[in-house]
Amino acid sequence: MKHAISFILNQEEIQLTVDSHRTLLDVLRDDLGLTGAKQGCDTGECGACSVLLNGVVVNACMVLAPEADGAEILTVEGLADEEELHPLQRSFIDHHGVQCGYCAPGMLIAAKALLNRTSRPHEEEIREALVGNLCRCGAYPDIIKSIQVASRARR
Amino acid sequence: MHTFDYIRLHSLEEVAQHLAQGPGVRLMGGGNVLLLAIRRGEEAPQKVLDVKTIPELRDVRYHHNQGLKLGAAVPLQHLATGLEVRRHYPLLYQTAQKLASPQVRNRATIGGTLAWASPVSELAAPMLCYDTVCYLWSPRGRRDVPLHAFYLGDFRTVLMEDELITHVHLPPPPQRSHGVYLRQTVRHDGRRMIAATAVWAMRKQQNLTRWRIAVLGVDDRPKRIPEAEAALEGNPHPEDIQRALEIVQAHIHPQDVIYARADYRRVVLNALLQQGIHQVIHQLQSMRS
Ligand SMILES: Cc1cc2nc3c(=O)[nH]c(=O)nc-3n(C[C@H](O)[C@H](O)[C@H](O)COP(=O)(O)OP(=O)(O)OC[C@H]3O[C@@H](n4cnc5c(N)ncnc54)[C@H](O)[C@@H]3O)c2cc1C
Repeated sequence: MKHAISFILNQEEIQLTVDSHRTLLDVLRDDLGLTGAKQGCDTGECGACSVLLNGVVVNACMVLAPEADGAEILTVEGLADEEELHPLQRSFIDHHGVQCGYCAPGMLIAAKALLNRTSRPHEEEIREALVGNLCRCGAYPDIIKSIQVASRARR
Repeated sequence: MHTFDYIRLHSLEEVAQHLAQGPGVRLMGGGNVLLLAIRRGEEAPQKVLDVKTIPELRDVRYHHNQGLKLGAAVPLQHLATGLEVRRHYPLLYQTAQKLASPQVRNRATIGGTLAWASPVSELAAPMLCYDTVCYLWSPRGRRDVPLHAFYLGDFRTVLMEDELITHVHLPPPPQRSHGVYLRQTVRHDGRRMIAATAVWAMRKQQNLTRWRIAVLGVDDRPKRIPEAEAALEGNPHPEDIQRALEIVQAHIHPQDVIYARADYRRVVLNALLQQGIHQVIHQLQSMRS
């Protein structure tokens, strides 16, 4: 079954036709060329495909593309403001939150979801917010530090 | 992935129409279980019906005399953030916060989670302690089933082919009560459960009463152990607690899994339960009468 859908992606309106059984992740990566969200496990376990769907963090591999109809979606590509990196991105660079980089887009989006609801999270809250994001390099301490510094710098 | 038609539903009448067209139809809440099963080739539905868009399934209603009524399509994240849950059903709130990840909780629904009926479904533990009742609907009518009677074991439930969960109801919580949820899992996100338990009771004058013990990971379904609950009634002494623990051991049937042998799961459950019972007693006794 085909669905004509429209949604707001990184503040831009998108219209396209998708098959029922395709995932939001397939459409982002294959149809729209946004490869920031990664296809890691494809089972909802690793968080590498995290995006914000109507303001809350979800795994794009576990969302059907037609479910995006009418939604607002933010991917890592939409984090930066024109030329300027988002404070989280800046901080990940400055504090080595990126090692191999595979998990980074998902980590950034999960962190963004956290900062949207808690402006100054403490370490335990950051850890809880990242429980669904795996980093196979084991760079967790630097990732947590990056988020902490970014949250302090924000205001 | 296997192809199917995705259909957004807006009313129970629409559910009935689709279900009447025969097999090959599956309901979808958050899709965490269903989409995986389709991807693995374990299920091949022709139609996937999204129930999240049915307005009445998104209800959340709390009333101090009536308790809490939650629609089946309410996401689990609501249980980890909702003020009425935090205030009146703290055991549910605490358990939900530990359940899976924000990504999963934002999608997973109450109805999908209960219908999944896994022996390690963490939502079941606090819901069993709070005497939750499931409201079921089919074109033939409605019926209410207490959660403890809803599970049939091995991922089966009392749900008929053409039936769905519309709501769950949690009775009003008594004033002076306390519950704890304790789990031992291999992974920090709750996956690979060895064993878990929720223990709950209330205080009435000097008595600790209405004990609830729910166990996970040690049988073919999440379950209460009423015989052990009865052994704790009143003001349990150490020998009563010991007896309750022995009764629990006699009523469980853990399985070997790759990360934990059955006998280990027994020992772990025993330790968690002992800790849980003592914590509940301590909390209730330190409340002012
Ligand atoms: C990565 C990951 C980690 C997880 N970690 C944990 C954990 O730590 N602890 C834990 O307890 N669980 C965990 N889970 C399991 C998770 O809780 C369940 O997958 C989820 O709650 C299922 O809900 P859903 O709405 O997504 O179900 P769905 O997949 O939508 O549905 C499940 C089943 O229920 C049926 N169904 C859906 N809605 C209804 C309804 N209203 N009435 C009747 N039938 C219905 C569907 O047809 C399907 O058969 C994890 C899952 C994932 C993917």
